[in-house]
Amino acid sequence: MSITDQLLAALVTHGVPLLVAVITISSVGVPFPVTLTLVAAGSFARQGELSLLPVIVAASLAAILGDQIGYGLSRWGGRRLVVRISRRIGGEHKIKKAEALSNKWGGFGIFFSRWLVTELGPWLNVTSGIAGYPWRRFIIWDVLGEVLWVVLYVMLGYVFSDRVQYISEILGNLAWAILAFIVAIILGWKLFRYFRPAVSVTA
Amino acid sequence: MKKFGWKQWVVALAFLVSLSVAIFFVVRAVRPIIYWHYHQDEPIRGWMNIGYVAHSYHVPPHVLYLALALPHKPPDKRPLREIAKAQNRSMDEIRSLLLDAIVHARPPYPPPPPPPPDPGSSP
Repeated sequence: MSITDQLLAALVTHGVPLLVAVITISSVGVPFPVTLTLVAAGSFARQGELSLLPVIVAASLAAILGDQIGYGLSRWGGRRLVVRISRRIGGEHKIKKAEALSNKWGGFGIFFSRWLVTELGPWLNVTSGIAGYPWRRFIIWDVLGEVLWVVLYVMLGYVFSDRVQYISEILGNLAWAILAFIVAIILGWKLFRYFRPAVSVTA
Repeated sequence: MKKFGWKQWVVALAFLVSLSVAIFFVVRAVRPIIYWHYHQDEPIRGWMNIGYVAHSYHVPPHVLYLALALPHKPPDKRPLREIAKAQNRSMDEIRSLLLDAIVHARPPYPPPPPPPPDPGSSP
Protein backbone atom coordinates (compact mmCIF):
# COMPACT_ATOMS: atom_id res chain seq x y z
CA MET A 1 0.00 0.00 0.00
CA SER A 2 1.34 3.46 -0.84
CA ILE A 3 1.93 6.11 1.82
CA THR A 4 -1.01 8.13 0.41
CA ASP A 5 -3.39 5.18 0.86
CA GLN A 6 -2.15 4.55 4.38
CA LEU A 7 -2.42 8.21 5.37
CA LEU A 8 -5.94 8.66 4.05
CA ALA A 9 -7.14 5.38 5.50
CA ALA A 10 -5.68 6.40 8.87
CA LEU A 11 -7.26 9.85 8.53
CA VAL A 12 -10.75 8.34 8.43
CA THR A 13 -9.97 5.98 11.31
CA HIS A 14 -7.94 8.25 13.63
CA GLY A 15 -9.22 11.67 12.52
CA VAL A 16 -7.75 14.89 13.92
CA PRO A 17 -4.78 13.39 15.92
CA LEU A 18 -3.49 11.78 12.71
CA LEU A 19 -3.97 15.05 10.80
CA VAL A 20 -1.95 16.90 13.47
CA ALA A 21 0.90 14.36 13.27
CA VAL A 22 1.05 14.42 9.45
CA ILE A 23 0.98 18.21 9.13
CA THR A 24 3.51 18.80 11.92
CA ILE A 25 5.98 16.30 10.41
CA SER A 26 5.50 17.62 6.86
CA SER A 27 5.99 21.24 8.03
CA VAL A 28 9.38 20.20 9.39
CA GLY A 29 10.26 18.98 5.88
CA VAL A 30 9.20 15.34 5.49
CA PRO A 31 7.58 15.03 2.03
CA PHE A 32 4.08 13.74 2.83
CA PRO A 33 1.16 14.15 0.36
CA VAL A 34 -0.17 16.92 2.57
CA THR A 35 -2.20 18.74 -0.11
CA LEU A 36 -4.29 15.63 -0.77
CA THR A 37 -4.58 15.00 3.00
CA LEU A 38 -5.93 18.51 3.69
CA VAL A 39 -8.34 18.50 0.74
CA ALA A 40 -9.51 15.00 1.71
CA ALA A 41 -10.00 16.17 5.33
CA GLY A 42 -12.33 18.89 3.98
CA SER A 43 -14.24 16.31 1.97
CA PHE A 44 -14.51 13.91 4.93
CA ALA A 45 -15.82 16.82 7.01
CA ARG A 46 -18.52 17.40 4.40
CA GLN A 47 -19.39 13.69 4.48
CA GLY A 48 -19.72 13.82 8.27
CA GLU A 49 -16.66 11.62 8.95
CA LEU A 50 -14.78 14.52 10.61
CA SER A 51 -15.85 17.87 12.15
CA LEU A 52 -14.90 20.95 10.13
CA LEU A 53 -13.87 23.37 12.88
CA PRO A 54 -11.59 20.97 14.81
CA VAL A 55 -9.96 20.02 11.47
CA ILE A 56 -9.19 23.67 10.64
CA VAL A 57 -7.99 24.60 14.15
CA ALA A 58 -5.88 21.46 14.64
CA ALA A 59 -4.33 21.58 11.16
CA SER A 60 -3.41 25.27 11.57
CA LEU A 61 -1.85 24.68 15.00
CA ALA A 62 0.04 21.63 13.69
CA ALA A 63 1.45 23.57 10.73
CA ILE A 64 2.53 26.45 12.99
CA LEU A 65 4.12 24.02 15.47
CA GLY A 66 6.03 22.22 12.69
CA ASP A 67 7.33 25.55 11.37
CA GLN A 68 8.51 26.58 14.84
CA ILE A 69 10.42 23.29 15.16
CA GLY A 70 12.14 23.88 11.78
CA TYR A 71 12.90 27.51 12.61
CA GLY A 72 14.04 26.75 16.18
CA LEU A 73 16.37 23.90 15.21
CA SER A 74 18.06 25.99 12.52
CA ARG A 75 18.16 29.16 14.62
CA TRP A 76 19.73 27.61 17.71
CA GLY A 77 21.59 24.73 16.09
CA GLY A 78 22.13 25.39 12.40
CA ARG A 79 23.05 29.07 12.78
CA ARG A 80 25.78 28.30 15.33
CA LEU A 81 27.18 25.64 13.02
CA VAL A 82 27.12 27.89 9.94
CA VAL A 83 28.80 30.76 11.85
CA ARG A 84 31.51 28.41 13.15
CA ILE A 85 32.19 26.97 9.68
CA SER A 86 32.22 30.39 8.01
CA ARG A 87 34.72 31.67 10.61
CA ARG A 88 37.02 28.80 9.76
CA ILE A 89 36.76 28.88 5.97
CA GLY A 90 35.81 32.52 5.53
CA GLY A 91 32.59 33.97 4.15
CA GLU A 92 31.24 35.86 7.17
CA HIS A 93 30.28 38.67 4.82
CA LYS A 94 27.97 36.22 3.04
CA ILE A 95 26.12 35.57 6.31
CA LYS A 96 25.71 39.32 6.79
CA LYS A 97 24.37 39.55 3.22
CA ALA A 98 21.95 36.66 3.86
CA GLU A 99 20.76 38.34 7.06
CA ALA A 100 20.11 41.61 5.22
CA LEU A 101 18.28 39.77 2.45
CA SER A 102 16.21 37.83 4.98
CA ASN A 103 15.29 41.00 6.87
CA LYS A 104 14.22 42.72 3.66
CA TRP A 105 12.29 39.88 1.97
CA GLY A 106 11.79 37.41 4.85
CA GLY A 107 8.21 38.31 5.77
CA PHE A 108 7.08 38.27 2.15
CA GLY A 109 8.76 34.90 1.56
CA ILE A 110 7.47 33.34 4.79
CA PHE A 111 3.87 34.41 4.11
CA PHE A 112 3.70 33.23 0.48
CA SER A 113 5.61 29.99 1.12
CA ARG A 114 2.93 29.00 3.66
CA TRP A 115 0.01 28.86 1.24
CA LEU A 116 1.01 29.65 -2.35
CA VAL A 117 4.41 28.01 -2.95
CA THR A 118 4.11 25.42 -0.21
CA GLU A 119 7.13 23.38 -1.38
CA LEU A 120 9.37 26.19 -0.15
CA GLY A 121 7.85 26.33 3.36
CA PRO A 122 10.26 24.01 5.23
CA TRP A 123 13.25 25.60 3.44
CA LEU A 124 12.17 29.10 4.40
CA ASN A 125 11.88 27.96 8.05
CA VAL A 126 15.49 26.80 7.95
CA THR A 127 16.88 29.83 6.09
CA SER A 128 14.94 32.24 8.36
CA GLY A 129 16.41 30.51 11.42
CA ILE A 130 19.96 30.48 10.07
CA ALA A 131 19.75 34.10 8.91
CA GLY A 132 18.49 35.11 12.36
CA TYR A 133 15.14 36.47 11.16
CA PRO A 134 13.38 37.83 14.30
CA TRP A 135 11.10 35.17 15.79
CA ARG A 136 8.26 37.59 16.60
CA ARG A 137 8.03 38.68 12.98
CA PHE A 138 8.44 35.08 11.81
CA ILE A 139 5.50 33.85 13.86
CA ILE A 140 3.18 36.68 12.72
CA TRP A 141 3.76 35.92 9.02
CA ASP A 142 3.70 32.20 9.77
CA VAL A 143 0.31 32.27 11.55
CA LEU A 144 -1.24 34.44 8.81
CA GLY A 145 0.06 32.22 6.01
CA GLU A 146 -0.68 28.85 7.63
CA VAL A 147 -4.24 29.73 8.65
CA LEU A 148 -4.89 30.97 5.10
CA TRP A 149 -3.39 27.74 3.68
CA VAL A 150 -5.44 25.43 5.90
CA VAL A 151 -8.72 27.33 5.45
CA LEU A 152 -8.21 27.55 1.67
CA TYR A 153 -7.35 23.89 1.10
CA VAL A 154 -9.82 22.41 3.60
CA MET A 155 -12.65 24.60 2.28
CA LEU A 156 -11.83 23.64 -1.31
CA GLY A 157 -12.13 20.02 -0.19
CA TYR A 158 -15.35 20.83 1.64
CA VAL A 159 -16.96 22.66 -1.29
CA PHE A 160 -15.75 20.20 -3.95
CA SER A 161 -16.09 17.22 -1.62
CA ASP A 162 -16.76 14.80 -4.50
CA ARG A 163 -13.69 15.95 -6.49
CA VAL A 164 -10.80 15.48 -4.04
CA GLN A 165 -8.46 13.85 -6.58
CA TYR A 166 -9.00 16.61 -9.15
CA ILE A 167 -8.59 19.45 -6.66
CA SER A 168 -5.41 18.07 -5.11
CA GLU A 169 -3.88 17.41 -8.56
CA ILE A 170 -4.69 20.96 -9.66
CA LEU A 171 -3.33 22.52 -6.44
CA GLY A 172 -0.18 20.38 -6.40
CA ASN A 173 0.70 21.15 -10.01
CA LEU A 174 -0.12 24.85 -9.69
CA ALA A 175 2.20 25.20 -6.69
CA TRP A 176 5.10 23.73 -8.70
CA ALA A 177 4.21 25.89 -11.72
CA ILE A 178 4.25 29.06 -9.60
CA LEU A 179 7.59 28.08 -8.06
CA ALA A 180 9.12 27.46 -11.51
CA PHE A 181 7.68 30.76 -12.81
CA ILE A 182 9.22 32.66 -9.88
CA VAL A 183 12.62 31.10 -10.66
CA ALA A 184 12.19 31.96 -14.38
CA ILE A 185 11.27 35.58 -13.55
CA ILE A 186 14.32 35.99 -11.28
CA LEU A 187 16.66 34.53 -13.93
CA GLY A 188 15.01 36.53 -16.72
CA TRP A 189 15.42 39.70 -14.64
CA LYS A 190 19.13 38.89 -14.11
CA LEU A 191 19.63 38.53 -17.88
CA PHE A 192 17.65 41.68 -18.62
CA ARG A 193 19.70 43.70 -16.13
CA TYR A 194 22.94 42.43 -17.64
CA PHE A 195 21.98 43.29 -21.21
CA ARG A 196 19.92 46.45 -20.82
CA PRO A 197 21.73 49.46 -22.28
CA ALA A 198 23.38 51.74 -19.74
CA VAL A 199 21.29 54.85 -19.10
CA SER A 200 23.27 57.88 -20.18
CA VAL A 201 22.78 60.97 -18.06
CA THR A 202 23.09 64.14 -20.08
CA ALA A 203 23.12 67.53 -18.60
CA MET B 1 26.43 45.50 -26.65
CA LYS B 2 27.72 43.33 -23.81
CA LYS B 3 29.32 39.95 -24.52
CA PHE B 4 27.40 36.73 -23.91
CA GLY B 5 29.87 35.03 -21.53
CA TRP B 6 29.60 31.50 -20.06
CA LYS B 7 27.82 32.84 -16.96
CA GLN B 8 25.10 34.37 -19.13
CA TRP B 9 24.78 31.09 -21.06
CA VAL B 10 24.22 29.24 -17.77
CA VAL B 11 21.61 31.80 -16.61
CA ALA B 12 19.87 31.70 -20.01
CA LEU B 13 19.80 27.89 -19.95
CA ALA B 14 18.45 27.84 -16.38
CA PHE B 15 15.84 30.41 -17.43
CA LEU B 16 14.67 28.20 -20.32
CA VAL B 17 14.63 25.08 -18.12
CA SER B 18 12.60 26.77 -15.38
CA LEU B 19 10.18 28.21 -17.95
CA SER B 20 9.73 24.75 -19.50
CA VAL B 21 9.14 23.23 -16.04
CA ALA B 22 6.55 25.94 -15.30
CA ILE B 23 4.72 25.26 -18.58
CA PHE B 24 4.85 21.50 -17.93
CA PHE B 25 3.16 21.93 -14.53
CA VAL B 26 0.59 24.38 -15.91
CA VAL B 27 -0.38 21.75 -18.51
CA ARG B 28 -0.59 19.12 -15.76
CA ALA B 29 -2.80 21.46 -13.69
CA VAL B 30 -5.08 22.21 -16.63
CA ARG B 31 -5.49 18.54 -17.61
CA PRO B 32 -7.75 17.57 -14.66
CA ILE B 33 -9.81 20.73 -15.24
CA ILE B 34 -10.47 19.68 -18.86
CA TYR B 35 -11.12 16.09 -17.79
CA TRP B 36 -13.49 17.36 -15.10
CA HIS B 37 -15.33 19.50 -17.66
CA TYR B 38 -15.91 16.59 -20.05
CA HIS B 39 -16.21 13.56 -17.78
CA GLN B 40 -17.61 14.89 -14.48
CA ASP B 41 -16.70 11.69 -12.61
CA GLU B 42 -13.14 11.50 -11.33
CA PRO B 43 -11.12 8.31 -11.81
CA ILE B 44 -11.28 5.76 -8.99
CA ARG B 45 -7.96 5.61 -7.11
CA GLY B 46 -6.52 3.21 -4.56
CA TRP B 47 -6.64 5.72 -1.68
CA MET B 48 -10.42 6.14 -1.94
CA ASN B 49 -12.76 4.18 0.30
CA ILE B 50 -16.21 2.95 -0.70
CA GLY B 51 -17.96 5.77 1.14
CA TYR B 52 -15.97 8.36 -0.79
CA VAL B 53 -16.57 6.67 -4.19
CA ALA B 54 -20.32 6.57 -3.44
CA HIS B 55 -20.20 10.27 -2.47
CA SER B 56 -18.17 11.22 -5.54
CA TYR B 57 -20.33 9.25 -8.01
CA HIS B 58 -23.61 10.12 -6.23
CA VAL B 59 -24.80 6.54 -5.77
CA PRO B 60 -26.00 4.82 -2.57
CA PRO B 61 -23.01 3.21 -0.77
CA HIS B 62 -24.74 -0.15 -0.23
CA VAL B 63 -24.72 -0.73 -4.00
CA LEU B 64 -20.92 -0.56 -4.01
CA TYR B 65 -20.53 -2.71 -0.89
CA LEU B 66 -22.73 -5.31 -2.59
CA ALA B 67 -20.58 -5.16 -5.75
CA LEU B 68 -17.50 -6.04 -3.69
CA ALA B 69 -19.41 -8.65 -1.62
CA LEU B 70 -18.92 -6.67 1.59
CA PRO B 71 -21.49 -6.00 4.35
CA HIS B 72 -22.68 -2.38 4.27
CA LYS B 73 -22.85 -2.15 8.07
CA PRO B 74 -20.67 -1.29 9.84
CA PRO B 75 -19.25 0.73 6.93
CA ASP B 76 -15.90 -0.60 5.71
CA LYS B 77 -13.57 2.41 5.73
CA ARG B 78 -10.51 0.67 4.28
CA PRO B 79 -9.03 2.18 1.12
CA LEU B 80 -9.81 0.26 -2.08
CA ARG B 81 -6.20 -0.85 -2.50
CA GLU B 82 -6.37 -2.60 0.87
CA ILE B 83 -9.71 -4.24 -0.02
CA ALA B 84 -8.18 -5.39 -3.33
CA LYS B 85 -5.26 -6.95 -1.45
CA ALA B 86 -7.55 -8.68 1.04
CA GLN B 87 -9.73 -10.06 -1.78
CA ASN B 88 -6.75 -11.09 -3.94
CA ARG B 89 -7.91 -8.81 -6.72
CA SER B 90 -6.13 -6.20 -8.77
CA MET B 91 -7.13 -2.53 -8.50
CA ASP B 92 -8.34 -2.76 -12.13
CA GLU B 93 -10.76 -5.55 -11.15
CA ILE B 94 -12.04 -3.55 -8.17
CA ARG B 95 -12.42 -0.48 -10.38
CA SER B 96 -14.38 -2.31 -13.05
CA LEU B 97 -16.67 -4.00 -10.47
CA LEU B 98 -17.43 -0.60 -8.93
CA LEU B 99 -17.94 1.14 -12.29
CA ASP B 100 -20.30 -1.65 -13.40
CA ALA B 101 -22.34 -1.22 -10.20
CA ILE B 102 -22.32 2.58 -10.64
CA VAL B 103 -23.57 2.34 -14.24
CA HIS B 104 -26.44 0.08 -13.11
CA ALA B 105 -27.36 2.41 -10.24
CA ARG B 106 -27.83 5.40 -12.53
CA PRO B 107 -30.45 6.24 -15.21
CA PRO B 108 -31.57 4.79 -17.58
CA TYR B 109 -31.53 1.87 -15.13
CA PRO B 110 -34.21 1.94 -12.39
CA PRO B 111 -33.06 3.33 -9.02
CA PRO B 112 -31.43 0.67 -6.84
CA PRO B 113 -33.51 -0.96 -4.08
CA PRO B 114 -33.01 0.25 -0.49
CA PRO B 115 -30.24 -1.40 1.53
CA PRO B 116 -31.08 -4.79 3.04
CA PRO B 117 -31.82 -4.75 6.80
CA ASP B 118 -28.89 -5.23 9.18
CA PRO B 119 -28.29 -8.83 10.09
CA GLY B 120 -28.15 -7.82 13.76
CA SER B 121 -31.26 -5.58 13.89
CA SER B 122 -34.58 -6.83 15.23
CA PRO B 123 -37.60 -6.83 12.86
